[in-house]
Amino acid sequence: MSDSLSLLFAVLVFPGGLFALVLGLAIKGVDRRVAARLQRRVGPPLLQPFFDLIKLSRKETMVPAQASAFIFRWVPLVGLSAMALAAAMIPINGVYQPSTELGDLLALFYLLAVPAVVLMLAGSASGSPFGAIGFSREMAIMLAYEGPVLLALLSVAIRVGVGEGHLISLSLSDIVAYQIAHGPFLLDPWMWPALLTFLCFFPANLGVLPFDIPEAETEVLEGPLLEYSGPSLGLFKMMSAVKCVVVLGLGITLFLPGGPDGIAGLLVFAVKCTVLAVLGVTVVRTAMGRMRIDQAFYFFLKWPAALGIASLVIVLARS
Amino acid sequence: MSTYKIPVGPLHVALEEPMFFKVEVEGETVVGLDITAGHAHRGIEYLVAKRNIHQNIVLTERICSLCSNSHPFSYCMALERIAGIVVPERVEYLRVVADEIKRIASHLFNVAITAHLVGFDSLFMHVMEIREIMQDTKESIFGNRMDLGANCIGGVRYDLDAEGRGYLLAQLDKLKAPLAEVRALYETNGSFLRRTKGVGVLPRAEAIRLGLVGPVARASGVDYDVRRKAPYVVYDKLSFDVQTLPDGDVWSRTMIRLREAIESIRIIEQCMRDMPEGPTTIDKTPEIPAGESIAKSEAPRGELIYYLRTDGSDKPERLKWRVPSYNNWKGLQVMLTGAKVADIALVVGSIDPCISCTER
Repeated sequence: MSDSLSLLFAVLVFPGGLFALVLGLAIKGVDRRVAARLQRRVGPPLLQPFFDLIKLSRKETMVPAQASAFIFRWVPLVGLSAMALAAAMIPINGVYQPSTELGDLLALFYLLAVPAVVLMLAGSASGSPFGAIGFSREMAIMLAYEGPVLLALLSVAIRVGVGEGHLISLSLSDIVAYQIAHGPFLLDPWMWPALLTFLCFFPANLGVLPFDIPEAETEVLEGPLLEYSGPSLGLFKMMSAVKCVVVLGLGITLFLPGGPDGIAGLLVFAVKCTVLAVLGVTVVRTAMGRMRIDQAFYFFLKWPAALGIASLVIVLARS
Repeated sequence: MSTYKIPVGPLHVALEEPMFFKVEVEGETVVGLDITAGHAHRGIEYLVAKRNIHQNIVLTERICSLCSNSHPFSYCMALERIAGIVVPERVEYLRVVADEIKRIASHLFNVAITAHLVGFDSLFMHVMEIREIMQDTKESIFGNRMDLGANCIGGVRYDLDAEGRGYLLAQLDKLKAPLAEVRALYETNGSFLRRTKGVGVLPRAEAIRLGLVGPVARASGVDYDVRRKAPYVVYDKLSFDVQTLPDGDVWSRTMIRLREAIESIRIIEQCMRDMPEGPTTIDKTPEIPAGESIAKSEAPRGELIYYLRTDGSDKPERLKWRVPSYNNWKGLQVMLTGAKVADIALVVGSIDPCISCTER
């Protein structure tokens, strides 16, 4: 009983659910402000994502006549729940350890695909042609980035597994523990190909420039999100905020998991997330334009795939 | 693969003005295009016949915002031709200055929007910031950021004294360095080139067949500029290069605009140097007899033609103008066939369409 209660707490309040949501929205606020400063604008207040969410919650969700209403209404909730669960899998060193059955790298990887699937469903359920285009683009880019990033994840898992004396370790807690003992992978040049692959996956999974192709505003008018409004759109915003924390947290777990105990550990985690978001998202998205879907597809099959394979080969060769 | 239709417009985030395309796509490729016009029709050709010749200067200035100086300029030239008015030489120089300032602002606007359309918002902000130098200049010299109100029959409504000339030259100097920097960026930046090179290609033969004008035609290698082919006011005394590029893609059209903005700086500087002293308007109220005339000018988007017929009353009997976007519009059929969905807005933006001019 207490197990299931603590699981519920982990998914709904900390570190999933509420905590991840607040942290994710705060990171988005920082991201928007820093992006504005990089473009010599003033930018919105740091709390703007919270204001947006409050505003959206007070509005009405309009369901288009041609949409399939059930899927249209409920699919954002599926995405948000999946992300809340995924956030409960991310270990925060010194503060939170997911239980062994929860903290599994492959399960987390598959949960990370849920938002993309949700966007596809939302796009096709909305009945808008732009949603349909968004659907096909989302699918194409997902196919392109999933492979390379899986190679990067496997490199880390095998490296940790071999270090611990068995073939592969998929437990997130083990990955953290190994790096605490042997130093973070961020400082190990042999792991940099995996790191680079992960950094490429980052903007693609979070749907920001140069890979915001499925939601490209000037091309397909936000694609799958075009028909969404009010609380339903708010759910999507919450989903993307929590997803942001999950993906950032995954990156931190894989490459720089250390941190002190207690509240200080929480702060260190938040700071690491923010710094990673600014360097990996904000700077990248203000420094370049959008790729076309075919260009992004070939990009992923070229560079990140090559880096992923290189990383796997290096890890296998050195073990 | 089955085809389906997507609507682009009439209200679309990527288009500045209402324009409606029914695009037939197969996957991500455009296979058919149907352009529907008429969303910005305000009946200005009718209104013109209801107002007297002086009121029409104000009205024609409001046909469109980015080429707002070209319209009253051409209208005044057409009127002066009917009345046989010879404007003082200083007026001709001042008219060139006003027109070229508008050209720089208009071209930079389109160049910025092109960056926005490929998702490069930082570059968009940067170019708009540079353009702000020109907007400030307009506000300081003419009192307005968009509509200059520079023209009147037989003259101009502003003058540049020594202080004004110094200010204008200083502003242009301020513009030069960032403009060169931006030009280098547009020529070399990978993420911009990736999206614009070889996109929306209009071959030279097609440009000639469809009668395209302005930067769009020049980007396809058609060496046609009204300022050179049929010089009006003092353009025959000024030295400037007509910019052309051979490829006819979105990138070429953007580069043509950037280069022309740089040429315009040269033109204004020559005007500042060569402008003679003298009156800025004729000193009598013009009498407009019955007659008809045609005036042509090079608006930022290309050749603008005004046809005017008067019957001796104070109202024009007929005023008809053909705007450059009307010709360039047809080029879209060629450019968009086989384009990707992602490039529709980009290609449309690259002809710098002026819907409110075309539909008035």
